[in-house]
Amino acid sequence: FTEMPTQNFVESSFWNFDALFQPQQHPARDQHDTFFLQDPAEAPELPPGYTAKVKKVHSQGGYGSQGYKYEWRLEEARRNLLRTHTTAASARMLYRLAQQERFSPVKYFSIDRVFRNESLDATHLAEFHQVEGVVADRGLTLGHLMGILRQFFTKLGITQLRFKPAYNPYTEPSMEVFSY
Amino acid sequence: DEEFNELCFEFGLELDEITSEKDIISKEKGEDRAKGASDTVLYKIDVPANRYDLLCLEGLVRGLQVFKERINLPRYEKIIPAEGEGQKLIITEKTVQVRPHAVAAVLRDITFTKERYDSFIDLQEKLHQNICRRRALVAIGTHDLDTISGPFTYTAKAPLEIKFKPLNQSQEYTASQIMDLYRTDSHLRHYLHLIENKPLYPVIYDSNGVVLSMPPIINGDHTKISINTKNVLIECTGTDITKAKIVLDIIVTMFSEYCEKPFTVEAVEVVYPNGKTHIYPELAYRKEKVKPELINKKIGISETPSSLAKLLTRMCLKSHVIGNGNNIEIEIPPTRADIIHACDIVEDAAIAYGYNNIQMAIPKTYTIANQLPLNKLTELLRLDLAAAGFTEALTFALCSQEDVADKLGMDISATKAVRIANPKTAEFQVARTTLLPGLLKTIAANRKMPLPLKLFEISDIVVKDPNTDVGARNYRHFCAVYYNKSPGFEIIHGLLDRVMQLLEVPPNEENGYTIKAAEGSAFFPGRCAEVFAKGQSIGKLGVLHPDVITKFELTMPCSALEINIEPFV
Repeated sequence: FTEMPTQNFVESSFWNFDALFQPQQHPARDQHDTFFLQDPAEAPELPPGYTAKVKKVHSQGGYGSQGYKYEWRLEEARRNLLRTHTTAASARMLYRLAQQERFSPVKYFSIDRVFRNESLDATHLAEFHQVEGVVADRGLTLGHLMGILRQFFTKLGITQLRFKPAYNPYTEPSMEVFSY
Repeated sequence: DEEFNELCFEFGLELDEITSEKDIISKEKGEDRAKGASDTVLYKIDVPANRYDLLCLEGLVRGLQVFKERINLPRYEKIIPAEGEGQKLIITEKTVQVRPHAVAAVLRDITFTKERYDSFIDLQEKLHQNICRRRALVAIGTHDLDTISGPFTYTAKAPLEIKFKPLNQSQEYTASQIMDLYRTDSHLRHYLHLIENKPLYPVIYDSNGVVLSMPPIINGDHTKISINTKNVLIECTGTDITKAKIVLDIIVTMFSEYCEKPFTVEAVEVVYPNGKTHIYPELAYRKEKVKPELINKKIGISETPSSLAKLLTRMCLKSHVIGNGNNIEIEIPPTRADIIHACDIVEDAAIAYGYNNIQMAIPKTYTIANQLPLNKLTELLRLDLAAAGFTEALTFALCSQEDVADKLGMDISATKAVRIANPKTAEFQVARTTLLPGLLKTIAANRKMPLPLKLFEISDIVVKDPNTDVGARNYRHFCAVYYNKSPGFEIIHGLLDRVMQLLEVPPNEENGYTIKAAEGSAFFPGRCAEVFAKGQSIGKLGVLHPDVITKFELTMPCSALEINIEPFV
């Protein structure tokens, strides 16, 4: 696995949410869960061609999807925030991978800080670290994902795993991993 | 209980808690208050955010029964009444500025019991909180059809022109009075802002001028439904037509079970300002074709097309094999608005197969592993700094404005700090531009530890930068502090020399590093130096100014070093 560059705590809503198919009305984009920035409030630059594609899929659908069918607003995508997940960095890497002339399989990882605007308690802080992994290749299956997760946890000394279906706006099928 | 937990796990639900009314009251108000409360077991179930069809008991049970193959998914039917007999909802153009969309449907000859009634009200609340985004996008109103007569008009009027008796009130109020009335209501006050400052408020009337409701705030008392209600008019108004349609479909599919003709819904004709009409509810069934190889490939299983069709049918997606057995046709019911791409269908097939039954495998492609050079440098330095006798700290990246400016004797505008718009507390106002406050706060929290306290941190700071695509960037800084009865400038200086030695940077001006006497607002005058390397200033070191020490609630002298290590990658 190759380490991804993640040295930007400040991210635009575009990379953190929109490029990951998280609708603009989603509760996670609320004031309550995300740290939005006063200064710099908006991202000056967004990739132009890609932004148009993202807009289309959200509002009308495309690539086999029905889309969310709502009015997608550019100003909302420009809003800066402190990233809520390192998946924003993964999105950037996948975009970069797509710009390559020929596709090459990759495995990426990162371990870095993310920020969520939640009330602090004994087990929750506003800042914490996430471990992120991405494998891009032809012919990958859900079984491969589960296999990699099992190897990862085995290295940490955890061998009893169970997988449960879950929902994530940007992954399908999605799962949660439980250890017992 | 175990069995149900297993079932939920497989299906994708989380059985959060097994409790009872008695337990809940006990926990909140104490055991004596709980006496006499119900002992019946309550299951608290967490439903995924995109499954609106599982938000009420009816839908949940139906979904699970189809999953267990105990029943077939019912077919929801829309009954279009004969010409002149159906209900009409007329929308005027006045609503365009405030809440343009409305849809409606009728549940005919329905039988409520206490549980069904409670469930009906509960589902509306859940939908309001979930897909309706707290009534901002869609608001639901349900009315006893026998107390009113159509055609109904959805329009908008000035607040003083709207007068009616709101639900459960004893007298009539104007809309402005209603705003004041509910300003202190713990439930409704959160929705007042949605229409409060608009010149016209939305309102629905019947043909005799009876107010059905003033969305999204409250319904009229006249049309309130009770356990004895037999015919229900459901209207959804809002700013998002797609969601309004989904909400209406969910409510009618869930509760049409209790109609005289089960799973039938009576349609309502909606007339738009431009004269066009539309029949609601849509109750659209969509057909999609997916190849069985695609499903097998994506999951990593190899099931026959007919067994895949059976799996999908168990997930409320009625499917059968078509063609010469090489394609599957899937019918997506109106309750599954969450199916928007073939991958959603693949996920449902995987859930029905059982995630834990899938064979795990490792991807066969080889790739070369690589560490990010900056992180590699950081890891190497961390080890050697610990070997030099310094303890590593991991501190918060967010801090208060004073921490990075006033307490260090600087003006906030000179720091180029990134500012948070909605901090919950003053501790999270800005992103740190220096690691120093974090380390000093750590020392302050550990005053009881034996001296000297030698801390370091190698981590990111954030500054505004107009050259990046978002307007800010991180820099990897290294900061060390020495806190003791004597400031220990020589120790901090020695640490810098050691770090440079490890980085193989010689101590000369041309191709290495130098330090020059400098001024720093956080440092003691005459005891501060700036570090230059690779042709630029990379940081400062020195003895901290007593003002800084006191402002961070410390009592001993302290020397500090902070440099940017990115030039050395």
